[in-house]
Amino acid sequence: MVTPKPHPRRRPLGLLAGLALVGLCTALLLPGRASFTVATPALVLVAPGLVAGLLGGRLAGVTTAAVAAVVLDLVFVEPYGTLGVHLVDDVVALVAFGAIALTVATLVAMAADGRRAAEQKAREVTALSRERERIRSEQDRLASENLALEQAEDARRALLRSVSHDLRTPLAAIRAITSDLRDGATYDDDTRRDLLDVVGDEAERLDRLVANLLSLSRIEAGALVPELQAVDLDELLSDRVRRLSRLLREVRVATRLPEHVPLVDADYVLVDQAVTNLLENATRHTPLGSTITIEAHERGDMIEVAVSDHGPGVPPHERDSIFEPFRTGSPSNGVWSSGIGLAICRAIVEAHGGSISAGDAPGGGARFAFTLPVHRSRPRVMS
Amino acid sequence: MKHDGGGLILIVDDERPITRALSAALSARAYRPEAVATGREALHAAATSDPAAVILDLGLPDIDGLDVLRRLREWSDVPVIVLTAEGAEDRMIQALDDGADDYVTKPFSTPELLARLRVALRHQRSRAEDAAGPGSMPVFTVGDVVVDMPHHTVHVDGRRLDLTPKEFAFLALLARHGGKVLTHRMILQSVWGPEYGTESEYLRVYASQLRKKLAEDPARPRLITEPGVGYRLIDRDTPTM
Repeated sequence: MVTPKPHPRRRPLGLLAGLALVGLCTALLLPGRASFTVATPALVLVAPGLVAGLLGGRLAGVTTAAVAAVVLDLVFVEPYGTLGVHLVDDVVALVAFGAIALTVATLVAMAADGRRAAEQKAREVTALSRERERIRSEQDRLASENLALEQAEDARRALLRSVSHDLRTPLAAIRAITSDLRDGATYDDDTRRDLLDVVGDEAERLDRLVANLLSLSRIEAGALVPELQAVDLDELLSDRVRRLSRLLREVRVATRLPEHVPLVDADYVLVDQAVTNLLENATRHTPLGSTITIEAHERGDMIEVAVSDHGPGVPPHERDSIFEPFRTGSPSNGVWSSGIGLAICRAIVEAHGGSISAGDAPGGGARFAFTLPVHRSRPRVMS
Repeated sequence: MKHDGGGLILIVDDERPITRALSAALSARAYRPEAVATGREALHAAATSDPAAVILDLGLPDIDGLDVLRRLREWSDVPVIVLTAEGAEDRMIQALDDGADDYVTKPFSTPELLARLRVALRHQRSRAEDAAGPGSMPVFTVGDVVVDMPHHTVHVDGRRLDLTPKEFAFLALLARHGGKVLTHRMILQSVWGPEYGTESEYLRVYASQLRKKLAEDPARPRLITEPGVGYRLIDRDTPTM
């Protein structure tokens, strides 16, 4: 409970106002005091106590009422100028006045105090709930900030784990072979060539990984801005397949493009990297000797490019998360493989205003499809 | 040991560059390599091909490498060398506790892996000879160290060692598993009791006493410390690196 007390400065103010009003009423009524009965000033002089009670609280009201009673007796009850009373009527009037003035002042003061207390309480409740609201939103903000930090930390850890795994695997093969050769192992020509191929392939793999890491740092810095030019997809795809011939030598690659594929608006280097990642991903999952299919279709003002393999495919619940950085198709038994390739594909495609998705390949396997805008000879008019 | 090769070595790793490198290295030394990429294929091949040793990567796409090892150990004592990624020491120690003979961390040097493979094969043979020896006496021989369990004696190069009971138990355990890496936990629980497991500082003290009594040549040690992992007793004629 809040005690209903007027503000300390309002108490003298109320008293002062009450006393001033007593003076004013007296001054106004004094000239005609002979022409009316004591009832008139008695009624009028109730008002100062009421006002003082209202403004200054109970003490101010009661004091003013008492002063008003004395003034009434002194000024308006004969004999004037003394506290004496001649008439019984006047005695009754004075007593009644005193009782009424005191009661009115008290009641008014109590009502005013009550109202003030209620108002103050209402203000306090409002302030409290506002404060609670503020604290709650602050808590929410901190919680989401914390979550974001934790996620960033998890992502960083996952990146480190994934990158160190991806770097270490080719390095392990290279180190195994070079340490063996240094040890003086003697090989026939075929084996020797085969081992050198492994070293060469693994060095290329490291090269692709480093390219992806560079792109990742550009994406994180928000600096992945495609330099658009008219790109011939036919040329890009066949060139990329040719350059990856070593990686792709144990699978078949079928490229199925329509007669005339329209040019696309794209950054050649970035799209080339996305295609490389998708082909490397397909190679990793498709069985040896199976066919990886590359297709392109016109879809309205976009071209869709799709890479399909005959591997285990991507389960429906992973088809979105697989594009998040450092997620992998199968992080089984602590094995982390290339967690950034697909995330980079998505960043590249979306920077071009296209989209990328994972689905089922006809006949089983995964099908990754992305879209790029068809090149317009003239800039399109934006509506 | 007469020659390097001869046996069939099962390589279990889903990274093709690694299996290609290992297959080539093993073939060049007259072993017969067989490479598989999954745990399922590994268990099948271990049952059907009767390998002389298994090189098992712990990170496999289908079954956890540790499960492959445990299932293999239910019916086979074929020497198993596990391959683990650097930073996965806990899994490697678990593999040793679960019966792996030795371990190599990736990236590894092929000569080192081959040396460990030779140790594992040789000790497997000598364990088999101990078991098939005259009257199958419980005597364990690791190079020039002979541990006679019934008589509670240890001879090194014909010289009898004077050992405390704990020293004898420690050395006998290592000799019984000649060539095999025994983890701190395995040694502590076997020699000191099941309530022990983390007091690896005891082992350091006993190992150093044993080295003195064995009159170890630091250049060709028999009692090998595997830092942070455990100990093993090897036939010191085996090159380790």
